[in-house]
Amino acid sequence: MMSASGMAGDGPLFLIDYLLRFVRVALLLAIWRTLFAGRRAVGGMPLTTVLTYTLIGEVFAEPMAGFTTMADAFWDGTITARFLRPMSLFGQFAAEAGGLWTVNFALFSAPLLACAPLLGVRALPASPAAAALFLMSLALAIVVGLAIDYISGAIAIGMELSPWIVDRSRRAVGGLLSGAIIPFALMPWGVGRALAWNPFAALASAPLQIYVGKGDPVRLMALQVAWAALLWPIAMRAWMKLRERMVSYGG
Amino acid sequence: MNTLTRLCRLWALYARMDLHWVTRDTKTFVTWSISDTLLNFGGLLGMMLLAQRFGGIGPWSQAQVLFLLSYSAVCGGVMEMFCGFNVAYISRRIGRGQLDHILAQPQPIWMALATEGFCPFTGSAVILPGVLLMAWAVSRLGLRQGPGWYGALALNIAASTVVALSFQFIWGSLAFWAPRAAEEINSASSRLLRQLRPYPLEGLAPALKGALLGLLPVGFLGWAPCRALLGMDSRPTSIWVTPLAAVGFGLIATAVFRKGLAHYGRTGSQRYLAHGHRT
Repeated sequence: MMSASGMAGDGPLFLIDYLLRFVRVALLLAIWRTLFAGRRAVGGMPLTTVLTYTLIGEVFAEPMAGFTTMADAFWDGTITARFLRPMSLFGQFAAEAGGLWTVNFALFSAPLLACAPLLGVRALPASPAAAALFLMSLALAIVVGLAIDYISGAIAIGMELSPWIVDRSRRAVGGLLSGAIIPFALMPWGVGRALAWNPFAALASAPLQIYVGKGDPVRLMALQVAWAALLWPIAMRAWMKLRERMVSYGG
Repeated sequence: MNTLTRLCRLWALYARMDLHWVTRDTKTFVTWSISDTLLNFGGLLGMMLLAQRFGGIGPWSQAQVLFLLSYSAVCGGVMEMFCGFNVAYISRRIGRGQLDHILAQPQPIWMALATEGFCPFTGSAVILPGVLLMAWAVSRLGLRQGPGWYGALALNIAASTVVALSFQFIWGSLAFWAPRAAEEINSASSRLLRQLRPYPLEGLAPALKGALLGLLPVGFLGWAPCRALLGMDSRPTSIWVTPLAAVGFGLIATAVFRKGLAHYGRTGSQRYLAHGHRT
């Protein structure tokens, strides 16, 4: 509720982001239809699968991106107040992010899912088992995403960078590296096979492949667990070492 | 003083200041440049990979897609170079009460906005790769065009930039009426333009295509001018469509901004504080 108030309390202008997301997914769906004209399948993925992949990728875009409000907290100085609260810093950001994601899911993602038939997209998972595994994989994706977000914050502190530099760079390449926009199977030159091993792939590509019934769920989720096990100790050590160096002016 | 002379002197001044920043804080310059490059080219990589895998996108060949992407990158670079320091994000200046800094200066508002954002060195991180990409695309296309074509290219790039800037000013002027709520509206509108401009619009429903040329003019930031320049739109007037759109959007932006400025003249800013922070 607090996250929703912060997002929507200043007026209806947050709706512009919903407009952007809707237009972007409509454009992507149109592009896929253009690309697949006359082709039954590419990289083992028929058009219907790719359309489902794209739509579900947008529905769950925020938890799959793994961004919290940490950059905002650095910028406006409220990060200092968070250290005074009797709660885990990571827990605070995770809770706020969860709140925002829930509100945006209710206001945008759920209506988008409901509009799937109008967009000519089959939104159902490949099977009931795929649906259950997708939820587990999504939870793992959120765990990995939060670790990446905290490591990014630590990098910004350690290198004395503006929080927006790391934030913007992640947003710029995260979509491509995670497979959220283009499935790895559709990338040329074996790029997708190589990208499947990067930590961002655990955010979107893994759960989406499970949802559409492509890829081995056991292998994909094992990779997610491995990345979570590797990245969380790094995130915690980095913050333990670097938090004393944090400087925040506020404004 | 002659207006043109004054403009040139102001551009030279701001270019020197930009160079000073680059050389005084090189680490920040390098990190921002890398970030800007990733931001502007990250979105293009996806389309390049798709064009490579599928041998083009619809009626666009690989080389034509490359030209489209380079065109949008160059337009982004021109915006970075001439509209930096929140000129393109005018809602921030208005919402934070920083418009008073401009109003207090002994020069017209348009002159201040036309020059304060000039940052050729920090903007080079985006425009230089875009120009190189365009040169590569032109060579792959085997275009052997004369000065007239390059003049049309420059005109359309300038027109696309004007369309984008006008769109930013139209939305950013909302900050005159809602300074706190609309302070960051240009971040959202800029994100919209940047993410959508490299997409070809073939295959879209007519209503959506019309919306992307009218309400959200991303079609004029790449698709429409590139179709004209590459001869994909054979109408002889197609080369003038984007410049005409620039005139139209520019007039609308001017009208909205003036209206907002008149409102600002009555209300002023409640958010500006002398020590530089804001409420």
